Amino acid sequence: MIGSDTIGLLLQGLSHVTVESVVMIGLSLVLLYLGIEKGYEPLLLLPIGAGCLLANLPLSPLIAEDGMLRVLYDMGIRNELFPLLIFIGIGALTDFGPLLENPRLVLLGAAGQFGIFMTLIAALLLGFTRPEAASIGIIGAIDGPTSIYVSGLLAPHLLGPITVAAYSYMSLVPIILPPIMKGLTTKSERLVRMPYTQRAITRRTRILFPILVTVVVGTLVPFATPLIGMLMLGNLMKESGAVERLTKASAQEIANTVTLFLGLAIGSTMVGGEFLKPRTLAILFLGIVAFGVDAMAGVLFAKVLNRLSRGKVNPLIGAAGISAFPMAARVVQKVAQEEDFENFLLMHAMGANAAGQIASVVAGGVLLALMGAGGL
Amino acid sequence: MENLLWGLQTTLLGMGLVFSLLALMWGLLTVALRLDQPSEPAPRAGGPEPAPAAPEPQFPPGLDEQTMAAILVATLAHRAQRRREAAPAMRSYWPGSLLYASRWVGAGRAVQNHGWRRGYR
Repeated sequence: MIGSDTIGLLLQGLSHVTVESVVMIGLSLVLLYLGIEKGYEPLLLLPIGAGCLLANLPLSPLIAEDGMLRVLYDMGIRNELFPLLIFIGIGALTDFGPLLENPRLVLLGAAGQFGIFMTLIAALLLGFTRPEAASIGIIGAIDGPTSIYVSGLLAPHLLGPITVAAYSYMSLVPIILPPIMKGLTTKSERLVRMPYTQRAITRRTRILFPILVTVVVGTLVPFATPLIGMLMLGNLMKESGAVERLTKASAQEIANTVTLFLGLAIGSTMVGGEFLKPRTLAILFLGIVAFGVDAMAGVLFAKVLNRLSRGKVNPLIGAAGISAFPMAARVVQKVAQEEDFENFLLMHAMGANAAGQIASVVAGGVLLALMGAGGL
Repeated sequence: MENLLWGLQTTLLGMGLVFSLLALMWGLLTVALRLDQPSEPAPRAGGPEPAPAAPEPQFPPGLDEQTMAAILVATLAHRAQRRREAAPAMRSYWPGSLLYASRWVGAGRAVQNHGWRRGYR
């Protein structure tokens, strides 16, 4: 005869359903919907949603001691391996040519990091601890792997909401940026045409660039070495042309595999009791503040450059100083063309955008240095 | 208050460091780009190089341009005629082929190829 204990065992899944787990499953379905139906960063939101769903099913063995999601978290998030592997792929995919053609644009990338520090202050005012505030501020880097890397070191318990905020808002760049760009610029400023003359960059310079950046940044900000080193390794492989197979593997197979593992592992951290707190809402709010302040600072700094250059710089390209590469540059081009269909700012915006990519990594390293973290 | 002060200090120091580092990078990149200019061929003293002249046509002795053209046309016509009269292995098309048959002729041929149909045997 089947005893009541056996029936209890069979029904233990149902008996462990909690309100929190139901809400989290609902949230995972929202993430899946956004990724699949709306196309918002599906490569990340789909695995994160799936990880969240699997982790919140009652008594999920996947997040038990030797469960797959726990193993993925331990092997790639706890030790920061996954974001660094993704950085190799990003480096292999990024063309820094537009930045090399116009190196002064690198300053726009610096201005685009202002949101990190403003958000840090706002988070402190809302009662977060210093490491938590720094982790929330790094959403303003608008760079998923950097956010994961920094928050994984400073506040691993906030990794879930920070990652979701970073990637969700990154997919909303085409919606967030235009009102800020239009609000802070006049029509005449948006109409400024910036002539583009392609400058020949030798292969030697393209190869020297990643080495130079790694040595300079790594020497001055050792905390940034893992991030900048992997980004520039990928770029060196691409520009050298000597290891085509490795470049392709880094940009495609490895990046895709790691993205899947990363998404699942981060999704598994979004467990009901830990995630459903008012501070999660606060992080989501601060995330959008970070994005907005970044864009505003970029545009305002470009306006300063516009004045200094006597109207030769279109302030719109300042919004591309954030790291969302290359989406921010495309948004700049679109907004510029709304005013003047024959205004082509794309290459200038791409230069600022590539600078933002480097600047966000540098800012992440600087933040870790200021917090005294980073494993040194 | 203490936290706010710390936040402001971090902001000042952080943004200062980010700007300084990237300004340094700007300088280094500018120097590197100036030192590593792509090599361009040196311009000639006498202005742009003249385009190479077209080669002069070479004719056999006693034949002018008109005669050579007539011989060329005759040769092509003769080759086409020989091909039409040659053995099947040499032919490009079967004699009597309507290479550019109208769609009516094409449709008729298609119907003929379906000889198994009732009424077309």
